[in-house]
Amino acid sequence: MKKVIEVKNLTKKYKKIKAIDNLSFDVYEGEILGLLGPNGSGKSTTINTILSLLKFQSGSIKVFGKEMNTDSYDIKRNIGVVFQEVAVFEELDVYDNIDYFCGLYIKDKEKRKKYVLDAIDLVGLSDFKKFYPKQLSGGLLRRLNIACGIAHKPKLIFLDEPTVAVDPQSRNNILDGIKKLRDNGATIVYTTHYMEEVELLCDRIIILDKGNIIASGTSDELKTLAKIEEKVTVEINNLDDRTLEEIKEFKNVDEVSYTNNNLIITYKKGENNFSYLMDYLKKEKINYNKIYSERPTLNDVFLELTGKELRD
Amino acid sequence: MFKHQFKYTLKTLFKSKSLIFWTYAFPIILGTFFYLAFSNIENSEKLDVIDIAVVETNEYNEDLVYVETFNRLSDDDNEDKMFNIKYVNEDKAKELLNKGKITGYFILKDKPSIYVKENGINETIFKSVVEEINNTKNMINTLSEEKIKGELIKGNQNIDYEKLYNEIISKINNYKSNIQNVSNDNLSYTMIEFYTLIAMACLNGAILSIIAINNVLPNMTGIGKRVGVSPVNKFKLILSSTLASYIVELLGLIILFIYTIFVLKVDYGSNLPLIILLALIGSFAGITLGILVATIFKLNDNAKTGILISFTMLGCFFSGMMGITMKYIIDKNIPIINKLNPANMITDGFYSLYYYDTLDRFYFNVISLLIFSGLMIIISFISLRGQKYDSI
Repeated sequence: MKKVIEVKNLTKKYKKIKAIDNLSFDVYEGEILGLLGPNGSGKSTTINTILSLLKFQSGSIKVFGKEMNTDSYDIKRNIGVVFQEVAVFEELDVYDNIDYFCGLYIKDKEKRKKYVLDAIDLVGLSDFKKFYPKQLSGGLLRRLNIACGIAHKPKLIFLDEPTVAVDPQSRNNILDGIKKLRDNGATIVYTTHYMEEVELLCDRIIILDKGNIIASGTSDELKTLAKIEEKVTVEINNLDDRTLEEIKEFKNVDEVSYTNNNLIITYKKGENNFSYLMDYLKKEKINYNKIYSERPTLNDVFLELTGKELRD
Repeated sequence: MFKHQFKYTLKTLFKSKSLIFWTYAFPIILGTFFYLAFSNIENSEKLDVIDIAVVETNEYNEDLVYVETFNRLSDDDNEDKMFNIKYVNEDKAKELLNKGKITGYFILKDKPSIYVKENGINETIFKSVVEEINNTKNMINTLSEEKIKGELIKGNQNIDYEKLYNEIISKINNYKSNIQNVSNDNLSYTMIEFYTLIAMACLNGAILSIIAINNVLPNMTGIGKRVGVSPVNKFKLILSSTLASYIVELLGLIILFIYTIFVLKVDYGSNLPLIILLALIGSFAGITLGILVATIFKLNDNAKTGILISFTMLGCFFSGMMGITMKYIIDKNIPIINKLNPANMITDGFYSLYYYDTLDRFYFNVISLLIFSGLMIIISFISLRGQKYDSI
């Protein structure tokens, strides 16, 4: 597959602190690459360095096969960026905001008008064209922020945590919009610390911590890195120590914990664990309120690799 | 691209309520305040007509210079009337002075003398006027003697005394240019305040360029970051934003001039075109000052605007906005401050139009402002050259 971004041995320091440490990765045409990591892991710094906004100490960056510089206007013309912070003009309405940013890329007025309306449609702001940013809710504002970054129909899009502090309805709208962009042929680099979004959207995932890649691959590939295959949670009132000890002896069990009336059992392998547990509870006449089984998440992977939660 | 940026910079600037306030409303509000506050002070400070007495001695009645001059300076039809004169004998004059009915009295016996009871502005004016009359009388006497001697040396025994008399009277009439009440003329407290007000309005244009330029600098605002990753040359955007800011600023100045001339009835006199020229250049200096503040301080818009307004207000204070005395104190004790102070360059340029017959000092201030603007641009350019940042 064609490489759209090639990052090799990239190192970026803020004074003596390494924000990115010898980072190398590629982004392929038509994929959504997720950069996953906790706050401060180097996701935004990586994007800003690729975009030539930040100086870096060593390494190389190529975009569309060419070295990226501040004056690489032919490359920049095909890039769209949605930064983490909402960056729109308070004094301009929705249409004018998108038109302004789109106008930095598209000179032709008629073409631009069509592109702006397409972007408004994509993010679901058709009913808010004449609204000013302060009249929009947080979710709608985020949608406007996205429209401003992608209206010029770029081939490569960077989305830096576009769903932070967004209501579920707007989040779904945004995620649907991103899928549409990919379906229309765009290559997307998506950073977030929401693992569910990455699992839902991304073809490939790179997990960053302290400026280093600690794992990469598809969601399923990454999950194999977790030492567990299944996690069962049971809501039980007053579980005695004897029962707890017996459960610990079950086949495949890795760890058992009981806190706040929640019994959590993690299994090294994921075969027939749930039904075996159900039978045991029935036999012992133990009443429970709720019981459910989960496959390991990327958070478990992150926990396994770093010893800390993704959202710490 | 230039047009696109220009159009949207104009649009955002015109729609910003705080900018409209500082650029358009604030100078008008301040101007109205000055008008209400200082015009009253000025009226109260107009020179009063001074009550004096002249002792009618033989010497006085025979001295045409004194008689004519005092008549004219106490003439009700004279715009520059300075004295209400009572013609009395010496005893009556003393009595009036002791009772405080007059500021002083003039007596001409062997030599001209004045008597006053206190030291004050009126007494000083009275004394100065009499000294002026004496000096001029001496000058006329000298001229007359020289003229008569000259005629006699030429062998002309038939001197035309009537012609000589007319020349003397003409000299007396020339007193008008030396002794007059100038307190109603244009250069007044109010005018000084309006000059500093215009200076402030010019420099407040910097707020416009701060906001406009911040929006194209990636290390300053989110919008700037977005613009920074677009395929557009940063300097082209800055040039376009600067031009738009300048136009918004000039419109503010036009409104200020219209308001002060037609509503507040400020008389800028015959120098209005030069005043406008200085205001145009002053505004440009303000805009370039804003570019510098925008590029060198990594702060948010509000903090930068705060710095700028503080700088402008302090500059205007040093150049006489809250009282002309401050300008004199700074000019006398720390002249370098006002030499570098753009607000003073503007106000001093305005003053010079009234204080000096030539335009040398006016153009000195114009050139100073252009040099100041050039420096602002050069420093900004240098700080903008690096297009990648260590952090954003």
